[in-house]
Amino acid sequence: MLLAALRKDFLLQWRTRAQVLAILIFGATSLLLFSFAIGPNALALRQHAAGFLWLALLLSSTLSLAESFQAEMEQRALEGLLLLPASARALYYGKALANWGQLAFLGLALVPVMIVLYDAGTTNIGALVGIILLGTAGLSAPGTLYAAMTSQARARQTLLPLLLFPLVVPVLLASAKATSLIILGDPMGQVRSWSLLLVCFDLIYWSLCGLLFGRVVED
Amino acid sequence: MTPTGVIEGGWGFVVAAYVVSAVVLFGYAVSVHVRYRAERKRSQRP
Amino acid sequence: MSADRQGAVVPYALAALGLALLAWGSSWGLFAAPGETYMGDVQRIMYVHVPTAWNAMLALTFAFGCALVSLFKGGWRWDARLEAGMEVGVVLSTLLCMQGAIWAKPTWGVWWDWDPRLTTTAVLVFAFAGILVLRRFVDDPVKRAVWSAVATIIAYVDVPIVYFSVRWWNSLHQVQSSPETVSKAFHWPLRINAFGILFLMSGLIGLRTRLAVLRLESELAPPLPPPAAVAPASTRGDR
Repeated sequence: MLLAALRKDFLLQWRTRAQVLAILIFGATSLLLFSFAIGPNALALRQHAAGFLWLALLLSSTLSLAESFQAEMEQRALEGLLLLPASARALYYGKALANWGQLAFLGLALVPVMIVLYDAGTTNIGALVGIILLGTAGLSAPGTLYAAMTSQARARQTLLPLLLFPLVVPVLLASAKATSLIILGDPMGQVRSWSLLLVCFDLIYWSLCGLLFGRVVED
Repeated sequence: MTPTGVIEGGWGFVVAAYVVSAVVLFGYAVSVHVRYRAERKRSQRP
Repeated sequence: MSADRQGAVVPYALAALGLALLAWGSSWGLFAAPGETYMGDVQRIMYVHVPTAWNAMLALTFAFGCALVSLFKGGWRWDARLEAGMEVGVVLSTLLCMQGAIWAKPTWGVWWDWDPRLTTTAVLVFAFAGILVLRRFVDDPVKRAVWSAVATIIAYVDVPIVYFSVRWWNSLHQVQSSPETVSKAFHWPLRINAFGILFLMSGLIGLRTRLAVLRLESELAPPLPPPAAVAPASTRGDR
């Protein structure tokens, strides 16, 4: 059941890949604008690169998550999907995994933009990929739940970031800090501890949101 | 009072803190009261 | 509801008692208690700051409890209590941030010192204010109740995580002494104010719950229009 949901969601994303490209461009533009806010100060840019990367990713996630339930809402497919028992959980994890994939793709795609604009490269690619995977997982779990909720409410475009942003403060803190350490150097080996925080957050929220999702979409 | 030597003249801030607290707490209490009365009035109309 | 009018005596009494205690505790703390060794008179802010902190967390924990009951047991009153507890919690937490800023300026020279507890409180304000906004934008009362409960549970579980991440993040930059060390002589004004805010808060939550119940009742069962045979000229002007 989960595999079917996953296949459906990845197929959906593949078919709407033009939107993913648009979101990517939005993310890259955000990175550019952030650099203008700082000014052509190479040192300051490099120091803040990690924070800006994650801010751009966070902003892009609101677009990405909001449209993840768009198809279901437009076709009113939600009710049909939920007719089967235990399908709410499969629906949630399928969506959350697909969203995670999309966000991770966005994150990885924005890295070269960051490297170029902020002169913030690193040789430790493995750690960077790991942090992006962990951080985007943290965004995807509650984000998918709130996207399902707000897609059925009024003022949905404002509600999703309003609800999501305070919640994912730990993810933003940990991911930005860890990425910054990877870029600038990590003399005290703190990246591991920040990754642990992300792992904890992911474990807690991937289970909690999965448990609660059924109540959010029931009629 | 003998001078403590570290932080002087904090009374302005102390007063500010208490005034802000009083305004917020009292203001909110009044707001709840007013809203409650209005809702009761509305619900009692035939 | 005439029964409601009688029931409302308790919250009003609690609130009045709370205000009286606050007046007593605050005047004690402001005028009678001695100044502290290093912080001087600024220390006196603690007599109202610490009680606000305790009660803000209490209100939000109460809201969390109501969310659990509302979600797993159901019942409209629990949704009303959730709304009340959350609103009072948000007000108290906002007040907490303001007090914290007023305390920080003379102490650290800046309005905001990224103290982990205060920073967590600020995040809480935004998180729970967001849920209050969510409630305004959902018209279906059933969905509103379920979604608020879910969102409250998710946000509350986040509180310790936010606290630890901010504490850690902040510890790498600066080491500060916490304003918590209050010596024995100062306990009484603190306790009195703590109970003062507790009673005031309980009264306000009680009253606010009644308000929420009234609104829910009018939402779930709007009054019937008058029968056509009686006074056809009278119109339903109350909505």
